[in-house]
Amino acid sequence: MAEMVRKSSVDEILNHWILAGSCILLMITGFAFLFHWEAVSSVFGGVNGMKTVHNYGGVVFSLSLLYSMRHYFKDALEYDADDVQWFKVAGGYLSHKVTVPPMGKYNPGQKLYYLAIVGAGIAIALSGFALWFMKDNASMLLLAHLVHNIAFIVFVIAVPVHVYLGTLANPGTFKLMVSGTLPLSEAKRRYPKWMKAAGKM
Amino acid sequence: MANDTTKNRKAILVTPEACIGCRACQVACKSWNQLPAIKTTNNGTYQNPPDLASAAFNIIQYNEVPSQENPVRWLFVSRRCMHCEDAGCMTICPSGALYRTAEGAVAYDRDKCIGCKLCVTACPFDVPRYDAENKVAKCNLCDDRITAGMQPACVKTCPTGALKYGDRDELISLAKKDGFNTIYGEKDLSGLGTIFAFKDEPKLYGMKENPTIPSSVVFWHTYLKPLSLFGLGGVVAAAAIHYLAIGPHKEKEEEV
Repeated sequence: MAEMVRKSSVDEILNHWILAGSCILLMITGFAFLFHWEAVSSVFGGVNGMKTVHNYGGVVFSLSLLYSMRHYFKDALEYDADDVQWFKVAGGYLSHKVTVPPMGKYNPGQKLYYLAIVGAGIAIALSGFALWFMKDNASMLLLAHLVHNIAFIVFVIAVPVHVYLGTLANPGTFKLMVSGTLPLSEAKRRYPKWMKAAGKM
Repeated sequence: MANDTTKNRKAILVTPEACIGCRACQVACKSWNQLPAIKTTNNGTYQNPPDLASAAFNIIQYNEVPSQENPVRWLFVSRRCMHCEDAGCMTICPSGALYRTAEGAVAYDRDKCIGCKLCVTACPFDVPRYDAENKVAKCNLCDDRITAGMQPACVKTCPTGALKYGDRDELISLAKKDGFNTIYGEKDLSGLGTIFAFKDEPKLYGMKENPTIPSSVVFWHTYLKPLSLFGLGGVVAAAAIHYLAIGPHKEKEEEV
């Protein structure tokens, strides 16, 4: 059997799915609040039940988001010349003919995605807690309502992109968030700079 | 952000000039809506309770505005929910608790209220209140009475005709025919459901000039709400097109 490399740790995978699950739950209930979707709110026994789920789902999401920073935050802040080139060829997503520069553990698209989620996530969490606990401060409530909804736009655009790129667009990627491992040969091909840094090539 | 203009829109016409400040409207409102009394203290005015409350859906404002001829002039204004056509409270309400009745009033479903208080922030007239159970409470134009063909309780009891209920357009033309040049609420927020007939400046009576919904609420409703759906739909469509037109990533065989 081929030698396997672990790309995602067990706690990383668990936390990813807690973050993803709470995020999608919050987005669905968020849409239901925005557009008064009774088909959704009735699943939670009415709009008051949905509010409770949305609020405590937000707590889970916030904690999970903070925990995710130990996995990705440092990598997401580091960029090099290959990352610039990666953007010039659009990561190879717009044409199969271009040469994509060698990548480390994460490509700059993933890194920027993570920063967007951290930024919008902190904004949506803080404004969410303000909506929850600062109801008697009218100007704070209005500001929080606006910030919550602007951050929501980031999520409705970024999250489906992430889902597509992590599944259909890149066959084989999904299992990195299930088992967390991939064969060494594949890792060398996809993440050469990471493998070099790890002394495996 | 105007809602569909309600056909046969009903309204309350307040004529402050005819109001004698008897507060029968306040009592009738409490009586019909089964609202408890509020313990208040004298704060130097006959206005009581001092403001709208979860147990006071309407109040008479006692404005002391002395003039040259009349040093003790009192201007009374019976105040309640304005039942705006462009209702900020309804626009922002995330639970659908606030809704428009067939008569054009802004009513509420108490069970649906989630107590978020966003309606308070979006109301240009500082009307919605919250009760002890953290549920919204305000005038609903006596929806239960008017759907049964009756007048709102406050109008029914008003002894001077300072409160009139009826077809909104008819009330406006009636007031104009009676020589009231300024109809407060005729055009504001696409037309209020509580309108006021004045001969003097409405400002004199403490009426708010140019009431507007907070700009962030208008921005959110006009742009952010549609953008959330189009953003999601656009990304899903773009992903589908990408998958079909360009296709998923292919591994290159040569070693890097």
